[in-house]
Amino acid sequence: MLISMRWLGRHVDLSGIDPEQLALDLTLSTAEVEGVERFAPYLSDVVVGHVLEREQHPDADKLSICKLDVGTGETLQIVCGAPNVAAGQRVAVATVGTVLPGDFKIKKSKIRGVHSMGMICSERELGLSDEHDGIWVLPGKPTIGAPVAEALGIDDWVLEIDNKSLTHRPDLWGHRGVAREVAAILDRPLLPLDTSLPELGGADPVEVRVVSPACSRYIGLSIDGVGEGMTPDWMRGMLLATGQRPIDLLVDLSNFVMGDLGQPNHAFDRDQLAGDGILVREAREGETLVTLDEVERKLEPADLLICSGDKAVALAGIMGGQDSKVQQGTGRLLLEVACFEPVPVRRTSARLGLRTDSSARFEKHLDPTLPLKAAGHFARLLQEVQPDVTFPASLADAGDWSDPACEVPLNPDQVRRSLGVGISDEEMSALLSSIGFRVQANGEALTVSVPSNRATKDIAIEMDLIEEVGRLYRYGNIPERHLTGALVPPPVDHRRELAESCRDLLAGGARFHETLSYSFQSDALHKMLGLDGESYVSVINPVQEGSARIRRQVLPSLLGLLEPNRRQRDEVRLFEIGKGYLPEQASERGEPGEVHELALAFCRARQSDTAFDEGCLPRLMAVVQDLLGSLEFHEQQFVAVKQAPVSWLHPVRRVEVRVGAGDGACVGFVAELDPGLAAPLGIDGELVSDTAVASISLDALLEQERSGGSYNPLPRYPGFKIDVAIVAPEEVPARDLSRVIEKAGKGNAKDLVIFDLFRGDQLGAGRRSLAYHLVLQSDKKTLTDKDAQSFLRRLERGLGEIGAELRS
Amino acid sequence: MDKQTNLENAQARIAEASDQAVLADLERELLGKDGLLGQQLKEIPSLPPPERGPAGRAANELKAALTAGLLARAAELAEADLAADREGVGFDATLPAPPVERGSLHPITKVTRRLVQIFSSMGYHILDGPEVELDWYNFEALNIPADHPARDSQDTFYCDEEGRLVLRTHTSPVQVRAMERMAPPFRLVCPGKVFRHENTDATHEHTFHQMEGLVVGKDISVGHLVGTMKTLLRGIFGKEIDVRLRPGHFPFVEPGFELDARCVFCESGCRVCKGTRWIELLPCGLVHPKVLEAAGIDPSEWSGFAFGLGLSRLVMLSHGIDDVRHLLGGDLRFLEQFSC
Ligand SMILES: [Zn+2]
Repeated sequence: MLISMRWLGRHVDLSGIDPEQLALDLTLSTAEVEGVERFAPYLSDVVVGHVLEREQHPDADKLSICKLDVGTGETLQIVCGAPNVAAGQRVAVATVGTVLPGDFKIKKSKIRGVHSMGMICSERELGLSDEHDGIWVLPGKPTIGAPVAEALGIDDWVLEIDNKSLTHRPDLWGHRGVAREVAAILDRPLLPLDTSLPELGGADPVEVRVVSPACSRYIGLSIDGVGEGMTPDWMRGMLLATGQRPIDLLVDLSNFVMGDLGQPNHAFDRDQLAGDGILVREAREGETLVTLDEVERKLEPADLLICSGDKAVALAGIMGGQDSKVQQGTGRLLLEVACFEPVPVRRTSARLGLRTDSSARFEKHLDPTLPLKAAGHFARLLQEVQPDVTFPASLADAGDWSDPACEVPLNPDQVRRSLGVGISDEEMSALLSSIGFRVQANGEALTVSVPSNRATKDIAIEMDLIEEVGRLYRYGNIPERHLTGALVPPPVDHRRELAESCRDLLAGGARFHETLSYSFQSDALHKMLGLDGESYVSVINPVQEGSARIRRQVLPSLLGLLEPNRRQRDEVRLFEIGKGYLPEQASERGEPGEVHELALAFCRARQSDTAFDEGCLPRLMAVVQDLLGSLEFHEQQFVAVKQAPVSWLHPVRRVEVRVGAGDGACVGFVAELDPGLAAPLGIDGELVSDTAVASISLDALLEQERSGGSYNPLPRYPGFKIDVAIVAPEEVPARDLSRVIEKAGKGNAKDLVIFDLFRGDQLGAGRRSLAYHLVLQSDKKTLTDKDAQSFLRRLERGLGEIGAELRS
Repeated sequence: MDKQTNLENAQARIAEASDQAVLADLERELLGKDGLLGQQLKEIPSLPPPERGPAGRAANELKAALTAGLLARAAELAEADLAADREGVGFDATLPAPPVERGSLHPITKVTRRLVQIFSSMGYHILDGPEVELDWYNFEALNIPADHPARDSQDTFYCDEEGRLVLRTHTSPVQVRAMERMAPPFRLVCPGKVFRHENTDATHEHTFHQMEGLVVGKDISVGHLVGTMKTLLRGIFGKEIDVRLRPGHFPFVEPGFELDARCVFCESGCRVCKGTRWIELLPCGLVHPKVLEAAGIDPSEWSGFAFGLGLSRLVMLSHGIDDVRHLLGGDLRFLEQFSC
């Protein structure tokens, strides 16, 4: 909201006050001031010119040649392209040498052969508004030759207050309310303002019926004898400074009262109203209303309408109807000043996308005693400009409302305890009084009377008063303190600990990169992976169509990252630890089941010649194996999965990860993606890749025992290294061969490592050769060549039993 | 040639040996059976007996002299080799080897860890909670009733038409859950992912990370809040940071504040602080009595303060990241910059 210092000055003496300092004071005590700016600084550089003559340019249809008096005694000739320029106008003239916004310097020029000695400005050219359809015709009769700002009385500073910091302060939506704060901060008096109603006539008021609880009060003030007239320059200036374009007296007055007291109001032409007066009711299904902005609004039953008789004439608290627009010169008015409930106004204005200065205020719980003051204020201001207006009828005042002013007890000790500062009873009373609260001592306690302007949804309990004391005392004056108390170490969070260990191990030794991704997964991704049929927690208002689902598992989130990253890198190693949600496992209260998952993806440009142990899948298996081992899950195995296929994983090249004694429990999987996914995921063609993925359930892991592993005594006798190559049928798994070797070693064959895998015609079809490094070592004696020979003989026999043989 | 000359020649050759290999050849030649010493030894049996003794001694002396010469030269050569090595010929400090490849931790993880460490050291519990949350915990129990603007669907992702289930809009619901099962006094922080219904661009994101904290105890005051926040900032930035509290409004605290920290990036105004020298960092306040009540804690006996810290914002501020979408974008070119 924009606050004009000149306007504030109507309510509190601001002489000698620096705008920047005032802004800081308000920020620290009241609400955040986001900006301090001099109002339209360029208005001091242009002067008031009087258009003496205007004639058509001989060589250009759209140009006029104007003769102006700019107070110098000489007539100035300016060529002007605006359609609205006319003799007799007072206009803003930038003479030769003036610099306008955008570093635009006015020069002598010749336009189609005619000399031009300056420029007549539009509002946009002066940085005043976006208006540039024509020149700015100055209101009233400002002094010719004077700087425009001075002549119009609009030399001003404007403070911009962050609206978000005003959501709980309806009283600050007008200058009077801000001035009350300023007066308290500066310790200067708030100047009196007479808002009492002028004398009213005895005629019957316009009948007002309120049939909806969404309107708590509706005041109708009849006004007669309103003539055409100018808005006073001082008021026009303040409206301009606060971003309102002056329109005509009635509109300007209405806006001024709103900007002054924070109370929206609306004038109707009384002659246009139906005989049975005003009805405030909710809309009917299918009803429509063309609002002032000429848009036809489709209404719903929750919308509140002001009706003339039964015909809608305004969208209550938001905008008037096109038909009810009061014409300049309308003599007989009905001034509406009402109090509408915040929620319906907010709902309607949000639904229609129609936020106005009026709706913004009603959303904040306005004081229901305010309409009467606003009506009086409007009437008195109007009388100042047009002394002949009369108020023929008594006041219509309908609705069911009560004064929210209340008394709140305040324990001064509690104030001191909560703020942590030794402020005296007298000091806190003075601070509260400075903003219009009345404080009475009541034994040890204080009783604080909260005026109605602060009592709607704002001040209701002791803590609210403590806030008032604290902010006016200034939080910056409160000394900092340290917490004290028993130091009890917090309980260990095993899941956090496990997740943090995984992160360190994966980002460290395994060189994976941690990513955090959105919890949303797109329908398109699910469709691609064949996960469309699962049930999901979904939001009903997604930001993007087709991205409403909350993920059940984390891993699919990584798949979409492969293609863009592969474009940049030959190798992509990503992991994420995150949550998934399962609606079918919802609690009784409706909370969906929550799972915690570690997801890994390893994707690499396909290489023509990869060693047997260098493929993505074995590498990722090794990463997972190392991870689990480092986490002290020592009993672990990878088991080829033969059960039901998973739509997005390779039907064969996938293993279950099992942890624990015996068969162990499944904690996840490592797998290649189904080869059919390469194309839809974009990792084919020039990005052709090998990809392996893994998913480990942290929940399942947490159920397994961890052990530090036992110590193996260091060998006492030397061992020796020996290599063996074994030729075996393809279908014999490597693990079986290892078992045969270990059996042949009788406990002395150690440190088995496969270092080569070979296939070739000389081995025969369906056979492969695996070469092992191993160490023969006993903990009872030094082994000899003889022991090696007998080991090889036993191995030979053992291999024979499974159709394999030693390769010489 | 007399023996003396022979020895002198041999010593001269030893002295001239240019490297260890030449010296090794020379050693074989001089001390071998066909060498200088060998010949001298060979002559001994053919000498008359009385001369054999002196000849043997002479041979031994020769051997000793040659060996000493060889050893001395070997030592000289070794020293020369070391000296030559120390010359470091061909070394180019700027010639790169392939970089060490490492993995990386997400910057959010890193800042979370830093804060968790600070808070753990002050006895705070670190808590986790669901991202899909009941309306009660996200709103109702936090003094955000049904008609509150914060509940509008332009701010909140709703998971059902009844508005019973939402994507949490802050991590405060974790605190409510904690208050239900813990007895005061306690101190806790809840880091996590939160959601706001918002279209994304460089400065707006619908998913981000936060860490909210809560302290409940006897006579907790605004002074304690200020002291704690200053300790926190000292932990984050490694130096004393000036702060200021100004009024701010959040339904679950009363009084509520915005805490601004003195800009750490400039001395006289910069882009980050928009020239004000203050950075709006932490919404905070004393816990609203209604919030304590909703969680079953008696507000006449207990009080507390709460604060929220935008982790995403903190990461962006401290690394000068200009586009919030990088945080959850999963682009390796971004992630790699935070190697662990
Ligand atoms: Zn700065």
